[in-house]
Amino acid sequence: MIGYVVRRVLRAITTLLGTTLIIFVLVRVVPADPAVTIAGPKADPETLAAIRKDLGLDDPVAVQYGRYLARLAHADLGRSYMTGRRVADVIAERVPATALLAATSLAIGFFFGLALGIATAARRGSLIDVAVLLGTLIGLSIPGFWLGNVLIYEFSYRLKLLPLGGYGTWRHLILPATTLAIGEFLFYTRFVHTNVGGTLASDYIRTARAKGAPPARIYFVHALRNALIPIVTVLGLDIADLMSGVVLTETVFNWPGLGRLAVQAVFGLDIPLVAGTVLFAGVLVLVANLVVDLLYGTIDPRVQRA
Amino acid sequence: MPEAALTGLGSRRRSRRLFAAGVVLVGALALVALAAPWLTAYDPDAIVVASYHGPLGPGGAHPLGTDTLGRDVWARLAHGARTSLFVGGLAMVVSFAIGMTVGLAAGYFGGLVDAGLMWLVDLVLTMPSLLLLIVLATIFPPSILTIPLVIGAIGWTTFARTVRGDVLSLRERDYVQAALALGASDARIILRHLLPGVLPGAVVLAALRMSGAIVVDAGLSYLGLGVPLPTPSWGRMVSDAQTYIAVAPWLVVAPGVAIALAVIGFNLIGYGLIDLIGERRT
Repeated sequence: MIGYVVRRVLRAITTLLGTTLIIFVLVRVVPADPAVTIAGPKADPETLAAIRKDLGLDDPVAVQYGRYLARLAHADLGRSYMTGRRVADVIAERVPATALLAATSLAIGFFFGLALGIATAARRGSLIDVAVLLGTLIGLSIPGFWLGNVLIYEFSYRLKLLPLGGYGTWRHLILPATTLAIGEFLFYTRFVHTNVGGTLASDYIRTARAKGAPPARIYFVHALRNALIPIVTVLGLDIADLMSGVVLTETVFNWPGLGRLAVQAVFGLDIPLVAGTVLFAGVLVLVANLVVDLLYGTIDPRVQRA
Repeated sequence: MPEAALTGLGSRRRSRRLFAAGVVLVGALALVALAAPWLTAYDPDAIVVASYHGPLGPGGAHPLGTDTLGRDVWARLAHGARTSLFVGGLAMVVSFAIGMTVGLAAGYFGGLVDAGLMWLVDLVLTMPSLLLLIVLATIFPPSILTIPLVIGAIGWTTFARTVRGDVLSLRERDYVQAALALGASDARIILRHLLPGVLPGAVVLAALRMSGAIVVDAGLSYLGLGVPLPTPSWGRMVSDAQTYIAVAPWLVVAPGVAIALAVIGFNLIGYGLIDLIGERRT
């Protein structure tokens, strides 16, 4: 187990280094001169040169990358061009909103998806099976940003039940969380439905049934335990995709989280802020995947030896 | 949601029907895209009614109404089909090419090549794709060519993983082992023996990738980072319309339904193929 953990952690660290390298390279090829962004288009050449020297933009690339890493080690993500504030502070401010939205949606979507998926898994080939497959297929094709707008129209404009957007009370959370959760719910329903269904059709389940094991035991001990491995894998992969959904949903609902921050930073060509947000999101996904990998080793001890 | 993780639709008969439905949907869409100029009397960019009347509701000369600038919604939607299918198609081809190359190389050569390439796959999977796309969209000024290239350059990981997995199992097959023993060149083994074996799996992914790319393109356009104006795009139509949703909800409905239909069509083809191909294989 220890060897397995060490290997996974090492892999996460190399991936993290790769992530920083990609961000560093991307940021360097952005066609905006940081000095001009800071000093404005009318600045004279001396000022620009001074700012460049100050930022270390004249140093060799390797030196700049090394310095970037050294700063990251001190949680220093630089300063925002737009506001002059520390990027780390700006991000820290936005984390709670995004965490609240993402966690609520994922928890609700995953829980109900798991429940409906398990409940319908045994009905392979029936009308319920067709309904689940077709329903999720169609539902998953609806873009979240569009669904969000439809919900706003229905519940905010027509019924005047909920706020149009913004942040603050639980009433603000309902529509954006529903928008994200519906997609997650449909996805997990379908995924759990097919995976548990597939497991239920296998020989060892038939053996358990023949032995006279109670249905609850067959479901939760035999079938779910085996279907858990792909479910957990997909949960890990889903974190990165959830971040993409968050960016769009936050934009639709004017939710002051990391996603909207990133979009605003891009439009303002605020390079340190863009780089910081993307890196932060990348680290989040990495940590989530590491947790999944470690869970994996516990759920399925065979994995440790692989 | 990692939609490539979803499997087929169950029975073979059902798959065949859904696959056929997908072909019909995508065919209709392609027809609309190709024949767009003949399907509507209006130029998608032309202001066809004086805007001070406000957007017109669906009906009469404008089957889907007009937008806030007084442009015909059906004309924009039909021309938007061209944008969506072109962007989705090119993005898919780029992903297909990169993913195939990486997957074949990783699976066939193994060892360090495999380790390095799979590390790259992990890396790309770790970066939240929409954020990465947003950054790339700022670096490469958005155009009808850069957008699909950028989407394609990020969406190849599922191809690479699946193809690599298929290659690993194909390698053990007798005919590949025989070719290896006969001293066939790497290129010959990859192109003649492995490529045909991995194609079915890759074709399934191509259909799913197509719908994925259409969604991503719509999302980017919605954020204002997609193919620039005046090219009509469905995502942009949603974002332009949302401010007026209270007075003109049809402006939001039309492009959303179009995106969903396109995505459903390609997904039906993809998921249908999983079972049709899978059953033939076993």
